Amino acid sequence: MTWLVRSTMCDMMPAVGDQPGLADAGVDTFLATVRRESPMLVWAGLVLGAVIFAVTPVITVYVPLPSFLLPAGLRDTHANRICSTRFYLLRQAVFLLKMYACMCWGQDAAVRRRFNIAAYPADPGTFRTT
Amino acid sequence: MSHVPFQERGDVAVEADYVVVGTGAGGAAAAVTLARSGASVLMVEAGPWRDPHDYAWSTYGAMRDMMDDWGATITMGRALWPVVQARLVGGTTVINSAICVRTPEDIFGEWARNHGITGIQERVWRFQDQLEDELCVAETAPAAMGRSNELALKADAAGNFGGHVIKRYAKGCIGSGQCLQGCREMKKQSTNLNYVPEVLRRGGQILSSAPAERILFEGRRAVGVTGRFVHPQTRAKGAKFTARARKGVFVAASVTHSPVLLRRSGLTHAAVGAGFRAHPGTGVFGIYDEPVDQNFGVTQGWASTKYREDAGLKLETLSIPMEMAISRLAGGGRAFMERVVGYRHIAMWVHALRARSVGTVGAGWGGKPVIRYSFDEYDMARFRAGLVKMSEMHFAAGARVVIPGVHGIPYSLGPTELDVLANAPLDPKRYVAILSHLFGGCMMGTDPTRSVCDTRGKVHGHEGLYVADASLMPDNIGVNPQHTIMALAMIVAEGALGIA
Repeated sequence: MTWLVRSTMCDMMPAVGDQPGLADAGVDTFLATVRRESPMLVWAGLVLGAVIFAVTPVITVYVPLPSFLLPAGLRDTHANRICSTRFYLLRQAVFLLKMYACMCWGQDAAVRRRFNIAAYPADPGTFRTT
Repeated sequence: MSHVPFQERGDVAVEADYVVVGTGAGGAAAAVTLARSGASVLMVEAGPWRDPHDYAWSTYGAMRDMMDDWGATITMGRALWPVVQARLVGGTTVINSAICVRTPEDIFGEWARNHGITGIQERVWRFQDQLEDELCVAETAPAAMGRSNELALKADAAGNFGGHVIKRYAKGCIGSGQCLQGCREMKKQSTNLNYVPEVLRRGGQILSSAPAERILFEGRRAVGVTGRFVHPQTRAKGAKFTARARKGVFVAASVTHSPVLLRRSGLTHAAVGAGFRAHPGTGVFGIYDEPVDQNFGVTQGWASTKYREDAGLKLETLSIPMEMAISRLAGGGRAFMERVVGYRHIAMWVHALRARSVGTVGAGWGGKPVIRYSFDEYDMARFRAGLVKMSEMHFAAGARVVIPGVHGIPYSLGPTELDVLANAPLDPKRYVAILSHLFGGCMMGTDPTRSVCDTRGKVHGHEGLYVADASLMPDNIGVNPQHTIMALAMIVAEGALGIA
């Protein structure tokens, strides 16, 4: 299901003008890392958010197709509307996906340079072993 | 050996006069007090020991390496609000903003009237004097403030919001803006840098990556804790550990974990896990014509307690990492990304509410804490009023518009549109909030039918068992709790030592 998570995250954060989108911000490496490191429930939450994103165009743009089969313009409208839907649980499920998309995008060095913020060095992930 | 990290196999058995579960504000303060008296102390910490050079840089890394349950703990109620707690040596003191506020005088009166807790005011303040000295409490220097905090000072000067520069447990803060990920500059005085090492220097020991699963009893006397090591990366269970206590066991595993540990250990009293309270907080973004670059400068440099007593509000500046801040901008797709373009012009200020709503902490699937908590309408009205107050502050500082982040009202509001926010629906599902100050679950008091501990933190009906964290506190206090938690833990430790 990584492809679905990737696809929906990228729909949420497309490139705008010269501002890079998530697809240009190392999303594949990020998702591989999350898939490998995260607890099952976190990954399950992301997949759930992606599934909800994919199956809800019928309530946002009134088209009974999964989001990844929509034309680009409608997909973008869907992305905006589902992230702001009045159905709380749907909004929350999709928010988890959006939060991780933002984490990925915001740690990209080129993105950070654009906002005048220093790039993050690699997270050491270390701890005392003695 | 003084530090025992994750062990894959081979049972580990250690013994000391006192076993202290948890190394955050409460656990470390209790442990150092015990160690200074000459007692031998064994600390048992659920998370790993990460030194500043081990700290994550990114928000993702901080979630993974530092947060309890990857930051995925949420309240179950009318709205799902996240609960922020750390899980490593030093506990939440590693990831908070190190804000130091003395316990307000009125709190002691309330505790005395409602819970029979008397005779601690002078001792709390005396310990707070000591803590301020030992942990180098100081106001943030002007050079480290950053533009967001400077704008708050400007708003305060223009609108008389009763604020002040925050005092923090920080030694020469340089405003690197990395509080949430831990201060790699070693300026923030989290307990992993001072009290935990001091305990070890005094002959103490620590087990890390060692979540306590059960308290051991001999009759009514607590004689230790047991559990299994958990690998910090793979989360695989390792060797069994048994930490035996000759004189007493201190539980300081946090408001969410302490009640669960007691309950799992057979304390089924109805008061265990009851009385959960919090200071739910939320932020309002101000959009300024000039770049604010809120990630430069101290994370939290300005605060006001002017509205604490009547409205229950504490106002603060708060800069969170960009990746967290932008996720709060509404929408998705191009509309969302066009909002993100203006990130450099955003200042985020927050309020924390001394909510009167009460919840519970219990054990859920896999023994994880489950927090049941919802706001009542009275709290929601005050919560909304806090958003209005923060918006007024932004406009006093020159913001063009504010983004209140309330679902169902316009995305941004101008200075003449605040009545929209003041009349926004009170459904908590429309609001974003985070719970970072937690209280209760093992409340102290004189009535054993309504409280878990006596007024000095000893668990009713048991010998040698004490609680020494924020779960002791029978009410929320309306200010940042670390200073109060540490002082109370020191009093509990002195009580165990027989010091009145």
